Amino acid sequence: MGMTQILFWFLSVLALFSAIMVVVSKNPVHSVLWLIAVFFAISGHYILLNAQFLAIVNLIVYAGAIMVLFLFVIMLMNLNSDTEPQKNKWLKIAGVIAGGALLLVFVAALKNADLKNQMAEVTNGDIGLIHNLGIALFKDYVVPFEISSVLFLSAMVGAVVIGKKE
Amino acid sequence: MNALIISAVWGIVMMFSGIFTKNKSTVRSIAIAGILILIVANSLDLQGGYHINIDTKNQLDFGTFGLLFNSIAFICTLIYFLLSGKDIENVGVNVAEYFALIFFVLCGVSIATSFNTLLMLFLGIEIISIPLYILTGSNKRNLKSTEASLKYFLMGAFSTGIMLLGIAFLYGASTTGTFFIEEIGIGKSSLSPLFIVGLLLLLISMSFKVSAAPFHFWTPDVYDGAPTVFTSFMATIVKSALFIAFIRLFHNSFGEIQPKWQIFVAIIIAATLFIGNLTAVFQQSVKRMLAYSSIAQAGFMLFAILTINPVAQDGILLYATAYSLATIGIFAILVKMKDRSFEGFNGLAKHHPVLAATNTIFLLSLSGIPLTAGFFAKYYMLMAALKMGQFLWLVVFAVLCAAVSIYYYFRVIQAMYFKDGEPQELQVSSSFKILLIIVAAIIILLGIFPQLLLDKMNILYM
Repeated sequence: MGMTQILFWFLSVLALFSAIMVVVSKNPVHSVLWLIAVFFAISGHYILLNAQFLAIVNLIVYAGAIMVLFLFVIMLMNLNSDTEPQKNKWLKIAGVIAGGALLLVFVAALKNADLKNQMAEVTNGDIGLIHNLGIALFKDYVVPFEISSVLFLSAMVGAVVIGKKE
Repeated sequence: MNALIISAVWGIVMMFSGIFTKNKSTVRSIAIAGILILIVANSLDLQGGYHINIDTKNQLDFGTFGLLFNSIAFICTLIYFLLSGKDIENVGVNVAEYFALIFFVLCGVSIATSFNTLLMLFLGIEIISIPLYILTGSNKRNLKSTEASLKYFLMGAFSTGIMLLGIAFLYGASTTGTFFIEEIGIGKSSLSPLFIVGLLLLLISMSFKVSAAPFHFWTPDVYDGAPTVFTSFMATIVKSALFIAFIRLFHNSFGEIQPKWQIFVAIIIAATLFIGNLTAVFQQSVKRMLAYSSIAQAGFMLFAILTINPVAQDGILLYATAYSLATIGIFAILVKMKDRSFEGFNGLAKHHPVLAATNTIFLLSLSGIPLTAGFFAKYYMLMAALKMGQFLWLVVFAVLCAAVSIYYYFRVIQAMYFKDGEPQELQVSSSFKILLIIVAAIIILLGIFPQLLLDKMNILYM
């Protein structure tokens, strides 16, 4: 077992454990902190897959910016166990069944998937470097890249429309 | 490409028009000018000449089908602006921004009708959705509007997540790693589990976007809570555009393996028709009834996805036209009413005969009575299914559901003509009435000669 594999198993266990802790934690602030651990573990996976840029962006944007916003909102709302809404028992059971069915489908899909010849280039690939990413983005994917500016513009207009005082 | 670029640029123009003029009717005139330019530019694109050409690396494919639908969507938007433009001004203070957002939606529409990769499909649908979340919540004084907006946003974001997951699975299932819709389905004589999961997730998320049962729960609340003018836009032009995207995706990517997924679509159609029609019967508010009726109509439009043959492609364009025109007309009248329950329509025929008569034609068209466009729209959809030879039970079921739908559409007609009510103060100008008559005339004309629309398409297809 090489170093990569040891790291892979370590990160996987960390990611899964943290994800479960996000769900079962009673305190929402703890949930958010566990979520940060999930993001770090996933970023580790990205680095193992040679996607360095993605790993860094994932850390900066999700673990950095979005989680801070999350924490702010949760602290402002002052959530605790008293304000937790009581959910219907049947609703919970339905949720568990639906989620379990989805998990079953995913596991079944991945179990028989033929991915052997599509292994990531772990040691010698440089596909995830900013240089290559930039070339792909501005050559093959330049039109979607530019069109996404319309998306952000409309979101900005929307933020102003909703936030402006009437 | 013309329509895509001009609609995006005109959205920015609309934003700036809000700075330079405070006069609301000037803003509206600029919007109408913009939509006229869009119609002309799109027609030029359709003729094959005079188009802006950008090398999109084959990510966008401006075929006749998509461009034709663009024309229909833009013409419907023009009618919508002319009929309901004044009411958009009454929603809130940010009139220029509302028009800007509508133009951004149109930009998304022209992407969603011409995408060639899953990436562009995602972008197109998001550009359509995000302005709609905002338009839904634009009436900030109304709590229901805000609630609808939040509900729509959360559910929409969730379904987009499902769509992205589906795209990821399809990408993983393709041997070469491609987003092109024509390539992801190639060589799938034996379906890999990854591919099936991707297909199902895409089917679920697209059904959600077009509000097909059992993914329709957001529709009544959102359509009811949103300002009525924007409900009109959402329920017609946007919904038809999403159907075009849906059919384009399933025709190009999964057309060859049609028998494998047909049964799922058939179940969705049956559920949509059943739930939409049956729940609409019990509604007390006309606006909410129209929301359920739009679910029921989506059930009929889904026949185009079930069959994906040329008849269905003709049919979906006719259906989109008939449904959009009639619904825009009904909503334009509904916006003017103060009481939006069925009782509000009592005695309308006595005081406003023109409104009542045109409203009757729109309702007849929606229920699919012969001599209106709605009849041939439904006829083409069912024809497409009959041509395929399977799913006879579904066709019979659809006809039964259409019969149920007559009940709730006729309740409005009955209220207008056979019940007495207080005269309502409606502010309608004579140009509004003339425009309504023109729309009604188009519906009847298409109901007698559907070939007027379809022949034009067939010529262009050649």
